[in-house]
Amino acid sequence: AADKIHLIPQDFFAELCEQIIQHLNHKIPGVNTAELCQRIQTSGIEINVGDLAQITNIVSFLFSTAARNNLSAEELVATLGNAVSTLPKHAVQVIRHVWNEQGKSISVSEDARNTATVGQFVDVKWKLGVAMSSDTCRSLKYPYVTVTLKVADPSGQITDKSFEMTIPQFKNFFRQFKEMAAVLETV
Amino acid sequence: EGSKPLSALLSGIAQAAYYGNADITEELLRGQLYPEAAPEEFRALRAKMGGLLQSIASADMDLNQLEAFLTAQTKKQGGITSDQAAVIAKFWKNHRIKIHESLINQSRWDNVLKNMNWRVDLKSQSRHIDQINTPVAIVEMELGKNGQESEFLCLEFDEAKVSQMLKKLSEIEESMTLL
Repeated sequence: AADKIHLIPQDFFAELCEQIIQHLNHKIPGVNTAELCQRIQTSGIEINVGDLAQITNIVSFLFSTAARNNLSAEELVATLGNAVSTLPKHAVQVIRHVWNEQGKSISVSEDARNTATVGQFVDVKWKLGVAMSSDTCRSLKYPYVTVTLKVADPSGQITDKSFEMTIPQFKNFFRQFKEMAAVLETV
Repeated sequence: EGSKPLSALLSGIAQAAYYGNADITEELLRGQLYPEAAPEEFRALRAKMGGLLQSIASADMDLNQLEAFLTAQTKKQGGITSDQAAVIAKFWKNHRIKIHESLINQSRWDNVLKNMNWRVDLKSQSRHIDQINTPVAIVEMELGKNGQESEFLCLEFDEAKVSQMLKKLSEIEESMTLL
């Protein structure tokens, strides 16, 4: 995937690095790789979300390692070592520039890796539908709620998770969140 | 006496067609319920009753529709007797809701929420110093398609995020009044 970095135009790569640094700084919950990938594709570049996700992970790891070891921009570029010759010049420039501007503000705690199994809730979309008819039943007429959760996984990638609930299930879901709010208030 | 085997036959048909019980075969039903009947005769009976039940279930008939439908069937050439109609009516009254639910489930092909658990933690370690000792809810949702392996989604919600979710859930509840 590292060679796919060649495909990404400088401004998109800069935007990606910016998002990665902002995520490491806890300013945003994650990197919206799907959205960025779509825009890159619209501009005519053939790259898929999987590749972009891999590149994101590589650069994120690079920056967080540099933060942990308190590296300067030059030291960071030196660490890229052999990779520097295969990375396009504009990518190295972007990395150096972004690190110079914002590298100092990253604080990576030791337990960052330990909270790795829990994702962050970002947003929710919903729709209420009624299934009218199906091949096995002409008169279904059952209402259901479809919910799409926007979630930042531990590595910072933002993904959508969708699922359906019947009305009773929805009411239970709602009730649970009300209970959660009540407990959070009292703790 | 005459109605018991028919009632049991309808149950057997429902088991196979709606409750996913593949063990209830035609042979089993004949042997248990109509041992004196010839296989062809039984097959015809089973097909006829199965067809009637299918029509009734597909339309999710209410009592009025059911009565009209069964009455028409008693008047047909090669239809049913009024005794049989009575057995079918009783069966549908008892099983309508469960069969309808089963049909609904058969048409739910996307991810469903199978289960949900949560707890509230006090964040004692954090990337961010100002997050220490704030309560967070950890929610585990079991998602998956019917009959397939589940995916467990584990998410963290602070008080603000729970409020955000509650707001959206209220919107959903409000829109349900349109139903």
